[in-house]
Amino acid sequence: MLKNYFKTAWRSFWKHRSTGFINIAGLSVGMAAAVLIFIWVHNEFTFDDDQPDAENVYRITSHLAISKNETWVWESAPYQLGLEAKKTMPEVVAVTRVLPFHWEPMYLSINNEFFKEENAAYIDESWFNVFKTNFVSGNAIAFNQNPFSIILSESKAKKYFANQDAVGKIIRIDSANYQVQAVVKDAPANSSFKFDLFIPIAARQADAQEKKNDMSWGNFSYITFLKFKPGTNIKQATENLKSIIKPHRDKNDNLNITLRNLKAMHFESDLQNSGLVHAEKKVVYIFVILGALLLIIACINYVNLTTARASLRAKEVSIKKIVGAGRGHLFNQFVAESAVISVLALVLTVIIVSAALPSFNSFTNRNFSLTTGSAYLWLIMIGTLLLTIILNSIYPAVLLSSFKPLSAFRGGSVMKIKDTSLRKGLVVLQFTFSIFLIIGVITIYKQLSFVQSQNPGYDRSQIMSFNLSWKLLKGMKDDQKAAVKSTLKQAILQEPFVNGVSLVGMESIQSNGSFSSGSADWEGRPKDFNPSITYFNVDGDYNKLVNINFTSGRWFFPGSVDKRNVIINETAAKQFNLHKPYVGQRFIAQGDTGVVVGVVKDFNFQSMHAKITPVVFKLDQQWSSNYLVKVAPHKQAQAIARMESIWKQNFPDQPFSYQFLDQEFDKIYREDAKASTLMSGFAVVAIIISCLGLFGLAAFTAEQRGKEIGIRKVLGASIAGLVSLLSVEFVVLVLVALVIAAPLAYWLMNLWLQNFAYRISMQWWIFMAAGFVAVLIAFATVGLQTIKAAMANPVKSLRSE
Amino acid sequence: MIKITNLEKFYRTEEVETIALNKLSMHVDTGEFVAIMGPSGCGKSTLLNILGMLDDPDEGSYVFNDIEVAHFNERKRADLRKHNIGFVFQSFNLIDELTVFENVELPLIYTGVSAAERVKRVEEVLDKMQIMHRRNHYPQQLSGGQQQRVAIARAVVNKPKLILADEPTGNLDSSNGNDVMELLTDLNEQGTTIIMVTHSEHDARYSHRIIRLLDGQTVMENIMV
Ligand SMILES: Nc1ncnc2c1ncn2[C@@H]1O[C@H](COP(=O)(O)OP(=O)(O)OP(=O)(O)O)[C@@H](O)[C@H]1O
Ligand SMILES: [Mg+2]
Repeated sequence: MLKNYFKTAWRSFWKHRSTGFINIAGLSVGMAAAVLIFIWVHNEFTFDDDQPDAENVYRITSHLAISKNETWVWESAPYQLGLEAKKTMPEVVAVTRVLPFHWEPMYLSINNEFFKEENAAYIDESWFNVFKTNFVSGNAIAFNQNPFSIILSESKAKKYFANQDAVGKIIRIDSANYQVQAVVKDAPANSSFKFDLFIPIAARQADAQEKKNDMSWGNFSYITFLKFKPGTNIKQATENLKSIIKPHRDKNDNLNITLRNLKAMHFESDLQNSGLVHAEKKVVYIFVILGALLLIIACINYVNLTTARASLRAKEVSIKKIVGAGRGHLFNQFVAESAVISVLALVLTVIIVSAALPSFNSFTNRNFSLTTGSAYLWLIMIGTLLLTIILNSIYPAVLLSSFKPLSAFRGGSVMKIKDTSLRKGLVVLQFTFSIFLIIGVITIYKQLSFVQSQNPGYDRSQIMSFNLSWKLLKGMKDDQKAAVKSTLKQAILQEPFVNGVSLVGMESIQSNGSFSSGSADWEGRPKDFNPSITYFNVDGDYNKLVNINFTSGRWFFPGSVDKRNVIINETAAKQFNLHKPYVGQRFIAQGDTGVVVGVVKDFNFQSMHAKITPVVFKLDQQWSSNYLVKVAPHKQAQAIARMESIWKQNFPDQPFSYQFLDQEFDKIYREDAKASTLMSGFAVVAIIISCLGLFGLAAFTAEQRGKEIGIRKVLGASIAGLVSLLSVEFVVLVLVALVIAAPLAYWLMNLWLQNFAYRISMQWWIFMAAGFVAVLIAFATVGLQTIKAAMANPVKSLRSE
Repeated sequence: MIKITNLEKFYRTEEVETIALNKLSMHVDTGEFVAIMGPSGCGKSTLLNILGMLDDPDEGSYVFNDIEVAHFNERKRADLRKHNIGFVFQSFNLIDELTVFENVELPLIYTGVSAAERVKRVEEVLDKMQIMHRRNHYPQQLSGGQQQRVAIARAVVNKPKLILADEPTGNLDSSNGNDVMELLTDLNEQGTTIIMVTHSEHDARYSHRIIRLLDGQTVMENIMV
């Protein structure tokens, strides 16, 4: 029986293979997109699942209330807390800590070549007891015994040492030598700990000053995991931890400690920042919906094309019923047909997925592979296949198997009107989705180019920046440091292709928004008004480079006349409610009493996601470590080469690492650019699928109405008239979709735009453009079919009756 | 075998209501060969469809083999039908995508006959219909007469007790038509009950009894000798 179903199904597919291929193409594109999304989603939901005893491993979370309505939440805790917990809490089986090296890049020197390592971490000796790790070679014992040890991930060992055995090799970091003791397997895609290089915490604490810092109860640096005995009362354990830390803290400080389970870590959203891999649950759910939608609109094609053909198959169905086929038989047969198509589509899906996987990996920053070993991956494929078969078969199978056997012979309408309008509804649904995505793409694109083209109020062209790491000045006295810094500045300034150098405290003209509050005073300030201020600690040369626009006043004079004076931005002047004229007003900043010498036009010093807030410029060099260098146009390479050689003479243990402000600026919007790429990808997939469906339907309509077209032609209809007769129906559907999609897109895209403090407004032309694109695509798809039908020789279609 | 009493069937379109069968009563005994005749539109096909349980009556009773089936649901009717009734149509109604063999095999598949048994029975009946040499052809490759022989083969392959034929010779020339009538007569002689709708007095003469309909009612019955 089963064999018979599939035999018939295969024949039916072969007979209508052009429709079949449209179905397969559409389905496989949709399935591939869905499979990729589901792979990612599955991965997000199974983070750290493969860790044994995950349910007993908890991470200490620290909550510090800094004001009534603001609490900072950290994933880290004092080093000593873990130490004490192990000593005094019997329910604790093991304690382990990690300090991800994520504040600044780590530079490895291997055979005098520098490598930048982004995923390094310090771990303590219990790490591998708590977290399952597969060693490729070497072991943890030697690593734990010798502080200056390194463990590498397999991929990095390969990168650094090619095919040689990495164990035993020496790597130099900041003028100390470390020995590779082991190589471990790369962390799986669903691991929170994406580390490629481990160093014992002991190496860090070999430095007495470092150790003293670490041992302070006020230093919340270490991500600390506690492994409990099974069945431990976590509430009680939390209380125990609190009572350990209490005696070491101020009486009235607002510190709270909680425990978070390892498996609950991935979707945390309250942390200030993190060195581990996190994701937003909301985003994952949005992707589940998108994946499902893509699959559904792909299935709509099959449903539409199959039910459209139903009337042609009515005779076959009726005869089968008359000779004894039950509804069940016919139902099964149609399910078998959908299964044949879906399985063929799956084959294509596997090909598409494996071709797309490398770019998908770099896009998602995970490493998925399509090996036979990854059982879950095949499960996702099979699951998607089953879902597809179900979505595809239910409606057509019910519809087709429910024909009254007689009506088919009457030649009358087997299809109720209801069915055609359902089909139209489904096409509208597809195009609503496509148009929504097109509107989304246009909006994101417009917003990003708005951001990029906005006059920033300063000049960032030709400016590069580099950082003088605090490590390089370690152990020097303050005046020594100042001397080193200014010598470097002078040396660079001497270079021929350098037009200006400035030493500043913030990263550049962009600032990641470190605020301070309560550090400023001026005339008329209410006692309880302590606005947060971003200080730009600059030198006198700063404005030669960036040329900020002033609304009144001037830049700092050379020398130290303006040592205690400030320049503020417009927002600061307004928010502080400074007396007018602003210039000349007394202003106390960080203890220095001076006057406002200038007011600059507001400029976006953070990304445009954030509102412009008060800025105060001060002449202050003490904490400055960032150099901004303006280089001559077209001479960048030469300038960089010269600077690099100066750097090498002074700091041979660190590579010269720099960036251009323009690139830095683009980096701020990397996530937004990613969203834009993603949206475009989805839009293209949705449009391809929808158009395939439309193409199939148009072909079918043209075929079905062949006789009508023939008669009309004989009676004198023009080709243009016939084309519009056949196309108008579809174009109307697309227009209806536009009407539905527009308000939906308006609402959702406005939600997205809310993320930007400075944003475009959704203009009417965006909707018109999206509609125009959709109609054009639809017309191109349908037009080809209808023109073919309209041009056909009428005699042919009439005779075949 | 068949007893219908006061059978009524209406067709309602937007405005008109057509009475296709009007309080029709009749009976057919096992082993009979009955012809139904009447002008176009008098309700012959409607009657045949109801007898074949493809359609249900609006009023009245229909007893088939001592079972009242007038208000059976579709599944029960389909079940009764596939084991007891074979159909032959004027327009053959073969499935174009299937070969001769597969067309004839179809009813056996749906009644769950094993594959080996199916081959045996299909070959047997194709042999009887003298169409064996065409077993792998598709319907379009056959003449009308051959197609109708395939259709009859399909109708009898399940060894039904009753064969319903709606103008089985309507699309055939007289020679092919006579062949078909001979086949039906043979089947009847082997014990199959046959009810046939026809416009041809010549064909009607093969039957035992002619029932004449007019406007959905029996007007006359002729017993043939
Ligand atoms: N599905 C239907 N909808 C509406 N009216 C119908 C339907 N089927 C049959 N009728 C009407 O019922 C009446 C009987 O039709 P039926 O097909 O039984 O006639 P018939 O005797 O078989 O005619 P013919 O010899 O032309 O085949 C006719 O008046 C016909 O118009
Ligand atoms: Mg008729």
